[in-house]
Amino acid sequence: MTATYTPRSPIWCAGCGHFGVQGALARALRDAAVPVDQVMILAGIGCSGTIQNNLGTYGYHALHGRVLPTATGTALADPSLTVIAAGGDGDGYAIGVGHLVHTFRRNPALTYVLMNNATYGLTKGQGSPTAPLARPDGDEQGLDGILLGLAIMSSTFLARGYSGRPEQLVRLLGAGLDHARGGGGFAFVEVLSPCVTYQDTYPIWEAAVYDLDEEPGYDPSDRAGAYAACLRVAGEGRIPIGMIYRGGRHGVRPDPAPASVDLTGLEDAYRAIMDAYRV
Amino acid sequence: MTVTTASTLDDVTVAVSGQGGDGSLTVITLLGRILSARGFHLYSARNVASRIKGGHAAAMVRGSHAYRGGLDGSVDLLVAFDQEAVERIGPSMAAGGIVVFDGSGGALPAGSLPDGMRVFEVPFARMAVRDLRRDLYKNSLAFGVLTRVLSVPDAEAEARMVEGLGRLPAALQEVNRIALHHGFAYADDQGIPDGGGVWALEATVAPERLLITGNEALALGFLVAGGRFFTGYPITPASEILESLQRHLPRFGGVTVQAEDELSAVNMAIGAALTGVRAMTATSGPGLALMQEGIGHAGSAEVPLVIVDCQRAGPSTGMPTKPEQSDLAMLVHGGNGEFPRVVLAPGGAADCFELAVAGVGIARRLQCPVYIALDQAIAQHAETVAPFDLDVPVEGGAMIGGHELAARAEYRRYLVTADGVSPWVVPGTPGGMNLVTGNEHNEWGQVSIDPENRRTMMAKRARKLTAAAGDLPRAVRWGSDDAEVGVIGFGFTVAPMREAVERLADLGVPVAGLQPRTLWPVPAEVVDFVRAHRVTFVVEHNDEGQLLALLVAAGAPLDRVRGIRRCDGLAFTPGELVERIVGEVGR
Repeated sequence: MTATYTPRSPIWCAGCGHFGVQGALARALRDAAVPVDQVMILAGIGCSGTIQNNLGTYGYHALHGRVLPTATGTALADPSLTVIAAGGDGDGYAIGVGHLVHTFRRNPALTYVLMNNATYGLTKGQGSPTAPLARPDGDEQGLDGILLGLAIMSSTFLARGYSGRPEQLVRLLGAGLDHARGGGGFAFVEVLSPCVTYQDTYPIWEAAVYDLDEEPGYDPSDRAGAYAACLRVAGEGRIPIGMIYRGGRHGVRPDPAPASVDLTGLEDAYRAIMDAYRV
Repeated sequence: MTVTTASTLDDVTVAVSGQGGDGSLTVITLLGRILSARGFHLYSARNVASRIKGGHAAAMVRGSHAYRGGLDGSVDLLVAFDQEAVERIGPSMAAGGIVVFDGSGGALPAGSLPDGMRVFEVPFARMAVRDLRRDLYKNSLAFGVLTRVLSVPDAEAEARMVEGLGRLPAALQEVNRIALHHGFAYADDQGIPDGGGVWALEATVAPERLLITGNEALALGFLVAGGRFFTGYPITPASEILESLQRHLPRFGGVTVQAEDELSAVNMAIGAALTGVRAMTATSGPGLALMQEGIGHAGSAEVPLVIVDCQRAGPSTGMPTKPEQSDLAMLVHGGNGEFPRVVLAPGGAADCFELAVAGVGIARRLQCPVYIALDQAIAQHAETVAPFDLDVPVEGGAMIGGHELAARAEYRRYLVTADGVSPWVVPGTPGGMNLVTGNEHNEWGQVSIDPENRRTMMAKRARKLTAAAGDLPRAVRWGSDDAEVGVIGFGFTVAPMREAVERLADLGVPVAGLQPRTLWPVPAEVVDFVRAHRVTFVVEHNDEGQLLALLVAAGAPLDRVRGIRRCDGLAFTPGELVERIVGEVGR
């Protein structure tokens, strides 16, 4: 048995929502029975961008805002891997939001866990694009990544969890992993994950979350219905959580995997390309 | 133009120019086949009028028995579809040149041509409209006159045209054939009979060659080296690499992604490279500026990555269709912090293939970013080269698989080694779990700000270049062995330098030429070359002398180098370099 790195203890403050996210992700991976050596967790920059150090899997620390293109590259190059991208709301909704849109459009086989704490924790509490979820009185309005995802017709999996509701979170993350691994494509799971030090939203969010999973007749395969429900819930000053939308086309999974394609005996095929240039 | 007998040429430059859509490129392509069949090397450029003066559409081909790889600065034979073409290209006409001018839109502009030009004025457009009802056929008419001027037998001209227009519907082909014969008839009227033109093309025996652009050759090299993942964002003059690999990679189980921007392109390539696939991205200066953070990340995280920079005139969006060599400082020093990187620079299409192969291998061996620096001219102009050697071994590097890993007691992703290169285990390998990060890290890939670890890791990464220095692509040397004068240049300065050195030798000025193919780290052979010559001219297309500064910083004596530079979007011509060097060596 080859000794490898020892997983680290989380760097997060006591009470941080991210503990809940990590615990739920670990459980979801265990439930899915994926060996750690088949898992690649890519994380962005921020407090959330350390989760890859803690679970004993392959881990990668991407640039700020660039975790989605990086993870897309990994997922396309080796579709046999279980690829998980993780990051915060600054990473995914501010500097990297352009990539989120295009990842919905591309639908690669990966699960994206966006830990939304409505603040920049690592740089000590500046406002993020979701800050109005905590302080609704500013000039700028908040960004809702689930509504954004619903508006992009090629999105296939949109869920929102809350680190204060771990059982549901495990279920949502598990469903996300199944979606990505099973050929569905890009699974987006936003997790409301409070920052107890700079933006303690536990009291607000505990009261604000509204669980669509519990709503009788809610149909997560109905995109327009999902959009209407999210607007309705937001209009009531609450935050919709649960399995919000799931459907659409299949994900993109190259076969064979570019990472393991045979590179020998191809001289004739190369020559055929070169011969087109002969004069 | 070289005239071997009274009227027989073995080096000729032909330009066809008009408005976009006039079919200039078609005429040049057909003429290229005729030249090639006579053993001529070809160098072919599109939109080259913009190279001479500005935005007018033109195509140009230089055919020569000797390999040239560039233009010689003057045009022997011009087919001008309008007055603007004469105004733009006229001043570049060679002494004794011929102009075939379409006078449909007005008279030959006064004063645009040097004295002694022979002008055939033909109302191509009017004839095409009158006889064939479409202006469109005027290029076939022109081709008929052009081939008569060059004494190409009518039957051959027609055969080449049928070949070249083979994809057109039969009816259109027939009208073009009729147009060609109208051209012949016009030539008859002018007293230029079949096979008896003003000039003739000297035939020689030559091996079969490829006619290929640098971008196409580079894409092929990447594929042959085992490259299977490419990302790019469209940008002039790099887009043909994206297009070429989009066409070819899928058949080989590879993936090409057109990214949403260059930030995505470079990071997606990095993400792919983490799995062990050989990955590349390509861009030009503005895109490369956006990629800097990602490339530094690959340097720090030790990810093998090839980045192609098809340089164009900067700063900012600059002059997108003009070549320049002003990204060199960014290639060598760009990005925050310090990390090892290699910069390779091809001097022609054959180099593009070879250095793509080498670049993929070096990135793999050293686990670091490798740049391949082209420029617009190298990237987009086509030239004839010998067929490439496709029997290329795919470089494995220090990657280890499950069996080798299992034999180890422990695995550290960033193990400190003598050559700085650590064994590499990719995700999915049982038991090899590891952490990769652009933050400073310890051997296990865990983030660390420990001063001693920092010193160790900086030194480890730097050692990769020191250890590899001897294995990087070597410079190409030509000219005199015992000259006091040297010239150094890379990219699209190489062809005019090579030709200038030849002409200088004829003038009794022995000069040695050097084309470094590795620009960074600066190879010892380049500094030694400067030391070995009384004066070395550093020829480059930028304002600040970036290559010269690089050589001096690497130890080349400042009092032995002189810069020859331009940054106006125009290529050096051999004649200009001859003049500059002759003018300066006396001083």
